[in-house]
Amino acid sequence: MPMIAACELERRFGATRALDRLSFSVERGELFGLLGADGAGKTTAIRALAGLIDLDAGRAEIDGRDPAAGGAAVRESLGLVPQQASLYPDLSVAENLRFFARLFCLPRQVFHERSARLLGIMRLGPFAKRRADALSGGMYKKLALACALLHRPEVLLLDEPTVGVDPVSRRELWALLHELVHEGMTVLLSTPYMDEAERCHRVALVHQGRLLLAGEPQALLADFAGTAGQQPSAPTFETLFLARLEQADGDPKVAKA
Amino acid sequence: MSDLAIEAHGLCRDFGAFRAVERVSFTVAAGEIFGYLGANGAGKSTTIRMLCGLLAPTAGTAHVAGFDVGREPEAVKSSIGYMSQKFSLYLDLPVRDNLDFFGGAYGLFGRSLASRMAEAVAECGLSGLADRITGTLSGGVRQRLALACAILHRPRVLFLDEPTACVDPLARRLFWRVIRKLAGEGTTIFVTTHYLDEAEHCGRIGLMAAGRLIALDTPAALKRTYVPGRVLLARGRQLALAASALRGQAGITAIEPFGAGLHLQVDAAQWDEARLTRALLDAGAREVSVEAGEPSLEDVFLAALGRAEQAA
Amino acid sequence: MSARPWRFLRRVAAMSAKEVVHIRRDPRTLYIALAMPVIMLILLGFGFSFDVDHIPLCIADGDHSAAARELGRAIFGSQDFAAVDGDSVAAAETALRRGQAMAALVIPAGFERNLAPGRQSPVELLVDGSDGNLARHILGKVEAIVRTVSLRRAGGALSPPLSVKVYTLWNPAGRSPLFMVPGLVAFLLAIAAVLLTALTVAGEWERGSMEQLFASPIGRLEIVLGKLLPYLALGMVQLLLVITMGSTVFDVPIRGSLPLIFLAGLFFLSGMLGQGLFISVVARNQLVATQAGALSSLVPALILSGMLVPIENMPRILQAITIVVPARYLVHALRTLMLKGGGFSVIALDLGAMLAFTVAILALATLRFKRRLA
Repeated sequence: MPMIAACELERRFGATRALDRLSFSVERGELFGLLGADGAGKTTAIRALAGLIDLDAGRAEIDGRDPAAGGAAVRESLGLVPQQASLYPDLSVAENLRFFARLFCLPRQVFHERSARLLGIMRLGPFAKRRADALSGGMYKKLALACALLHRPEVLLLDEPTVGVDPVSRRELWALLHELVHEGMTVLLSTPYMDEAERCHRVALVHQGRLLLAGEPQALLADFAGTAGQQPSAPTFETLFLARLEQADGDPKVAKA
Repeated sequence: MSDLAIEAHGLCRDFGAFRAVERVSFTVAAGEIFGYLGANGAGKSTTIRMLCGLLAPTAGTAHVAGFDVGREPEAVKSSIGYMSQKFSLYLDLPVRDNLDFFGGAYGLFGRSLASRMAEAVAECGLSGLADRITGTLSGGVRQRLALACAILHRPRVLFLDEPTACVDPLARRLFWRVIRKLAGEGTTIFVTTHYLDEAEHCGRIGLMAAGRLIALDTPAALKRTYVPGRVLLARGRQLALAASALRGQAGITAIEPFGAGLHLQVDAAQWDEARLTRALLDAGAREVSVEAGEPSLEDVFLAALGRAEQAA
Repeated sequence: MSARPWRFLRRVAAMSAKEVVHIRRDPRTLYIALAMPVIMLILLGFGFSFDVDHIPLCIADGDHSAAARELGRAIFGSQDFAAVDGDSVAAAETALRRGQAMAALVIPAGFERNLAPGRQSPVELLVDGSDGNLARHILGKVEAIVRTVSLRRAGGALSPPLSVKVYTLWNPAGRSPLFMVPGLVAFLLAIAAVLLTALTVAGEWERGSMEQLFASPIGRLEIVLGKLLPYLALGMVQLLLVITMGSTVFDVPIRGSLPLIFLAGLFFLSGMLGQGLFISVVARNQLVATQAGALSSLVPALILSGMLVPIENMPRILQAITIVVPARYLVHALRTLMLKGGGFSVIALDLGAMLAFTVAILALATLRFKRRLA
């Protein structure tokens, strides 16, 4: 059974179709990338997986359970790093961490160990007393990630974690995500940067709430290179995406992962 | 008139005791597409604001479109176009009114405004949208509208601050088509971006960190300078463990997990595909395949940063 | 390891602890909670004046003469006063104490007989002094009417044979702060409580931190209670502050029991905090929440609570509306407790009404508070 499953997700906001029968799944221990431009439905999909929005149709599952109806139990094994600021700006780094630890009822000793370790990994230790609104974009996102990791979730959902982050922090973030996955966590992240596709084990390309394609990045690129014929340079995910978009505009077929 | 659209000599800007920009010097020729990369807080925005005449330099000089930014800021402002990240379009007005407003703001009226509007609309691919309410347009189209508003007065230098953030790849491609056309016609483009792959569009790139310009060259030259080794991509099974065995070995500059594989920067003299394949298999990996790769601008950026930190 | 109820409490505590830090860090909150009441009390403690009509007044006619009846007609002939039953002094005093009448005109036996030139025929006017403005107003009006009647009766003689003795009950000196303070307490507590809580949930929505909370195990009730508790404590401090200032600086008496006063304050505060929370849950952004909060606390507390205008004087429809305005009950309870004295039974209805409001609004807020972003 996949760790994360999106089955025919549908959701409208007014006249806009945010999710259009979107389906994909993520196995345990996978690093999965949800690729797409702004407005493609990535954030909506992640929110549906976290049980934060109602679906018009379809089913989201985390480890076989419905995140919306599953109650506190499902949420204990879920970690979410939303796209926008979700921490408390007037609280310090340490205070934010402590609040989330208490939300998950972590014993004090456990909290101290884990937060020390996380602060070390994220190199936030010297900033423990700094207010969250005084952190740079990269540090802020790292703190948000730390808060989501405190309770050792089995599934981690990250919405555009690399946007607005400086290259050094970005690389550290990827290294950390790989490590987490190596230790058994299932990680799903969304990104508008097509060149990050190859950093994932598997990806799904989303446009206007629909799935354009999904699979292993290398395999997808190889397929594309094979079919594309004349390519001026090596195929990239960006050109792959554009080609697929132009195809899809004439033929709205829904692909399944 | 000088052939140089932008000249900066030792530009400095202080905010109290904090030095945001330190002795930045560079030149940009007319018709060039110049990219400016750097993390947030590195001083990119401050530099742009000085070049646009919005902020006076604490020290140093700069000339944009032939005018001194310190002493003739108003002349600078009327010769340049500026498109900010949060482009200040009026979402509740139709496209036509936005163009009207910005044209008027730059002193265009009557017939000259009308003809320029028509030209800008055609150039930026906005035909047929004149009466649409701006807020109903997609991000990519709004981007092009903001660009159109910025070029109405035919600026010689166009400053674009993160112009394609939050825009889908198709729209981005169209946008860059317009930019290249403008550059071809002689407009100098100064663009900052976070999309490192987009920086490849630029003729030359400047890298900024902690207020200093740490590198400046064409993308290809930067790659040669800062990633002089060979880039190898390894795929296979159980690579992570094998990677830790390789880390620290002579000639291995960097190993980075990449999806299910590895990205490595190696000394070309000591390592090649064959040697790496053998080493990985010996370290316990299975089904290994190694091929050559291209360094990315991100590799360049990180290497340049590392070098700058060492030098400091 | 931890049992469910224990976890519940811990999460409530976590939420409250975080709110306390927010409150300490935000000068706005502290200003609204502590500085504003003090400033406003000083500013407002010096009188409003409103004209009112249909003031309930009863005439204890001990004379039963034509002159007495004429006086009665003159008084009730205009719109100024409305007749209230009570034809003995005892009945009149009861009516006053119960709040059924704001004034009582006691016409002693021998009134008509004494209405002869050169003689004095005093009547007594008892006035509810807990509302000083009203008291003065009543005094002025009654004196004028009595003078007119006496001049007519005495056939134009210069020295009026009618004199009015005024007893202002419960506020003999007619000092404004005495009657203002109970009303002000309701007003200030209402505004502060509603505004503060209106801002807190709306703030989380706007900032985006609500998303993170929802993704965690914390439940709606835990969030609601956790957010309320620190503001409740703050509100009680406010109450203490205002009452202390009232009694020390303005010499407002505290004739009733202090614990009852605080109990009334507690119930009222809970209701107001619940109201703010409800607004905040529905509003989702701080601007709307502030406006809705300010309006929904200001108007009822100022105009519908009986603070400035007696409820009996309001048009029927407004009187009906005041039934669901907690401020009305607090003003009545505080006036009774502080100025008139009185025990639990007198304010039982007020306490019950405020409690009912609190429960209802908190239930509404929790129900409305969906665990969904959209």
